[in-house]
Amino acid sequence: MDGDNQMKTIDARGLACPTPVLQTKAMIDKEDPEMIQITVDNEAARQNVVRFLEFRKFQTTVTTEGNDIKIVGKRGPGTAGQQEADMAGTDRNSSQILVMISSDRMGHGDDDLGQKLMKSFISTLKEMGNELWRIVCVNSGVKLAIEGAESLPHLKELEEKGVSILVCGTCLTHFNLLEKKQVGETTNMLDIITSLQVADHVINL
Amino acid sequence: MIVGLDRADDAGVYKITDDIALIQTVDFFTPIVDDPYWFGQIAAANALSDVYAMGGVPKTAMNLVAFPIKTMPVSVLREIIRGGIDKLKEAGVVLIGGHSIEDNELKYGLSITGLIHPDRILTKHNMKPGDKLILTKPLGTGIINTAIKGGLAPDDVIEKVTRQMAMLNKNAAEIMSAFPVHACTDITGFGFLGHLAEMIWGSNMGAVIQREDIPVIPEAIEFASMGFVPGGAYKNREFRESMVQFSEEIDPVTRDILFDPQTSGGLLIALPPSHADELLSRLRQNSMDTAAIVGYINTGKKGMIHVK
Repeated sequence: MDGDNQMKTIDARGLACPTPVLQTKAMIDKEDPEMIQITVDNEAARQNVVRFLEFRKFQTTVTTEGNDIKIVGKRGPGTAGQQEADMAGTDRNSSQILVMISSDRMGHGDDDLGQKLMKSFISTLKEMGNELWRIVCVNSGVKLAIEGAESLPHLKELEEKGVSILVCGTCLTHFNLLEKKQVGETTNMLDIITSLQVADHVINL
Repeated sequence: MIVGLDRADDAGVYKITDDIALIQTVDFFTPIVDDPYWFGQIAAANALSDVYAMGGVPKTAMNLVAFPIKTMPVSVLREIIRGGIDKLKEAGVVLIGGHSIEDNELKYGLSITGLIHPDRILTKHNMKPGDKLILTKPLGTGIINTAIKGGLAPDDVIEKVTRQMAMLNKNAAEIMSAFPVHACTDITGFGFLGHLAEMIWGSNMGAVIQREDIPVIPEAIEFASMGFVPGGAYKNREFRESMVQFSEEIDPVTRDILFDPQTSGGLLIALPPSHADELLSRLRQNSMDTAAIVGYINTGKKGMIHVK
């Protein structure tokens, strides 16, 4: 994930506990930000928000300006998207599904139909729930991840939910689309092979 | 008048004859659980608790109601009152009246009147060196209530804590009446350490608390670690911090739990060490399974509580 520009801010001044913590929780659940800043104005809210961020594996720093207390949380390494699973006590690692997409259309026969099916497939993929771990796009599959692609909003939605998306760099370069990729991490063959090895189930398209 | 406003205590006491004194208290608050019937029970258990804490026997009650009649169905009010009356019945107390007003925010509580022998009044202020301290209910209801507000407490936890808050201190009071108890209070808004601080201040004593012996609702530890500590716990801590010395190994979450404001909390009882074990086993036999001896009174550092 391109993290650094994802700073979310909350103004929780004048609010009594547990509201500042609830606002922080709602923001993290909804946006899954890399960094978050919460401004509070009392000691109880400071301690509770810091505690909540640390519980969600954020590294915290606190600065005081007059009556305002600014708390900045930065996501610790390797925690993106996992906090909800931890919260619910579900074992996210029980089954990790990897979906390998090697074309921008589904199946052979009619290309228009294939494109429609692929769009429908991506938009419905979220129904796999927490077990959907990673999507790898190779060959013309990378065209689903570029600007203007019909599947782009759905892939972004999945990424926000914590699904990891890897997009093949060699393929992007081949189609001259490197600059147009809008979702996921650009990746190499070693990462793809490691992902296939780590996954519990691989679905090939 | 025997106990009044000059010394902060659980209820006021007024002597009528050499054998009979009147004990009076009032308490009301905003809803803490969603279920109106249970809220009514909790409010009644909470109001009755002050009388039990002073060794009295509650006799009559009056309702206090503030209700948003324009925006809330009257069935909610009926359920609250029903909960209150059922709890009063359990306590053997008669509802003899009450008063209600219209208010934007729902509030319910009761004024309780009871009887007590003037020579058998249990105040907060008569602790003796060596007294053992017994706590009859586990701590953490304020934290759990905060998590309930945040929608994070699972149903089984809500139910467990609701039942605990609705549990009368009647049994505990009746059992303790057979023992030579020196002082007693009920744990409510000031939290465990806040109320203990009042007791040692009034008795001019010090106290030692063993952290590992304090009964705590297990989920409260989890929710406090997540940041669901009510603002009241911090206020309580700020107010009494100078009277409490924590050993270094006591973690911040534990400190918050010890200051967590309780709704309809248990009794904190001080009595001679020779009777403490027997009282404890009697309490445990009567469904207060988590009751525990949590510390003792000393004269080493007067006005100080040491949490080890």
